[in-house]
Amino acid sequence: MFESGMISLVGIAFWESVYMTIISSLFAYIIGLPLGLILVATDKDGIAPAPVFNQVLGVIINILRSIPFLILLVAMMPITEAVVGTVIGAKATIVVLVVAAAPFIARLVESSLKEVDRGVVEAAQSMGASPFEIMTKVLLPEAKPSLLVGSAIAMTTILGYSAMAGFCGGGGLGAVAINYGYYRSQRDIMLVMVVLLVVIVQVLQELGLRIASRTDKRL
Amino acid sequence: MEHKEIMIQLKGITKTFSQKKGTLEVLHGIDLDIAKGEIFGIIGMSGAGKSTLVRCINLLERPTAGEVYLDGQELTQLSEKDLRQARRSMGMIFQQFHLLMQRTALENVCFPMEIAGVKKGEAKQRAKELLELVGLGEKTESYPSQLSGGQKQRVAIARALATNPKVLLCDEATSALDPNTTVGVLELLKDINQRLGITIVVITHEMKVIQEICNRVAIISGGQIAEIGSVEDIFRSPKTEAGRELVFHEGNSREGYLGQIPHCYRIVFDESNSGEPLLGSMMIECNGLANILAANTRNIDGKVYGQMIIQLPEDEELRGRMIANLQAKHVIVEEVDHV
Repeated sequence: MFESGMISLVGIAFWESVYMTIISSLFAYIIGLPLGLILVATDKDGIAPAPVFNQVLGVIINILRSIPFLILLVAMMPITEAVVGTVIGAKATIVVLVVAAAPFIARLVESSLKEVDRGVVEAAQSMGASPFEIMTKVLLPEAKPSLLVGSAIAMTTILGYSAMAGFCGGGGLGAVAINYGYYRSQRDIMLVMVVLLVVIVQVLQELGLRIASRTDKRL
Repeated sequence: MEHKEIMIQLKGITKTFSQKKGTLEVLHGIDLDIAKGEIFGIIGMSGAGKSTLVRCINLLERPTAGEVYLDGQELTQLSEKDLRQARRSMGMIFQQFHLLMQRTALENVCFPMEIAGVKKGEAKQRAKELLELVGLGEKTESYPSQLSGGQKQRVAIARALATNPKVLLCDEATSALDPNTTVGVLELLKDINQRLGITIVVITHEMKVIQEICNRVAIISGGQIAEIGSVEDIFRSPKTEAGRELVFHEGNSREGYLGQIPHCYRIVFDESNSGEPLLGSMMIECNGLANILAANTRNIDGKVYGQMIIQLPEDEELRGRMIANLQAKHVIVEEVDHV
């Protein structure tokens, strides 16, 4: 099994997985982080309460989160095609990953931001801080360690989704596992893929926790 | 106090909170004038509405009805933007300090100046000076988690002073601190008041905090001002039930005595007569005995006051003579129905 062709295939798949995860996480955070902030700010006890808007947004996020990833992958094909011009490969998977992960990240960010002491926010308000200043100068910096831990969770989840995309012509380790390990019943290939996925998850998780605890000044 | 120029004026402040079951009225039409440069105390039992009241001053809570004037400017009608501007002239400190945990002491003090748009270098310089003023010149680079409770409150005070406010609001600022640290923080507040002339509003449930630093005090009970006056007057003879409760029972439990001991009197003496053996001479002169149930001395604004709870004999005639004897010596005597 480990002839040179296979090794380079696995190597490419490995980097493809890493690349998909990082790029998707990046875009998902660009959407999810502001959404999380908006969820917290517009809460009825938030810094810019807008309860109706908050509930509508919450429902939309919940709907997106409840669609199983594989279904979303198939259902989004026309949109994916329109955005990146293809429905297979890493590029196509990234589009779906971003849509699937953004609402999840919004909820992760929301829960991190809610950990910030209400009193600190009140103190900032008493100094005349605007809602935007409270978001950028209080909520985000104070929640930073928790946000970093959350980002490790988000990235491992995205990696898991990206492997699933292998069933529908996505790239990366998942595709190799399915094409060789499953369709061709090459159990050893399957095992190697699983081990590689485990390694990536471990590294991401460990890195996330370490950075989080190093930046946390509460300890 | 001499000019009686008013810094904070509250007119008819009412605050109701809507709850699941109807509404809860926390403040019922509070009127209050706080003079420029004074240290004004607001005291009450927990749940009396004092924290809500102080939050109505900088509109962290919007009163349901009423007007709030800060140095002549009406605050409730201001736009959000103008209100934020106005808040910069009111510093506030809290029971739980509420510092930014991910910022150093120096960066915490810089925070309100960042919001006010003060230049970075200038802000840093001022923050350093302020930390020195509160006695933390050595701790500029420490994070809140590395500081003690008293030190955290000092950082909070420095932070509250950063934008040169006219008013400093203290919401139970010493309630989370031990007695020694409390004294230190109160001394600092007094010092700031004298040095900077800043008006200070102190919210507390502890009479000793009021005695330590306040000029005037309002007793708030059931969402209303029960009594208002100079600390001396309130201490010497509180006129209302809420006032007596706070002045007499600070630190001692009364349940054990309540209604069980008849003929109890509270006597208050000040410096002019605290040097004499008042009680002893009264007992000899009247030929009757008094039972001392409680006694303490307090220092209010540099003057020594003593108070005692004594039980006088059954005999009404003898009791009358004893009271007259004490009153002749300029001692305040009043009957109390519980100890």
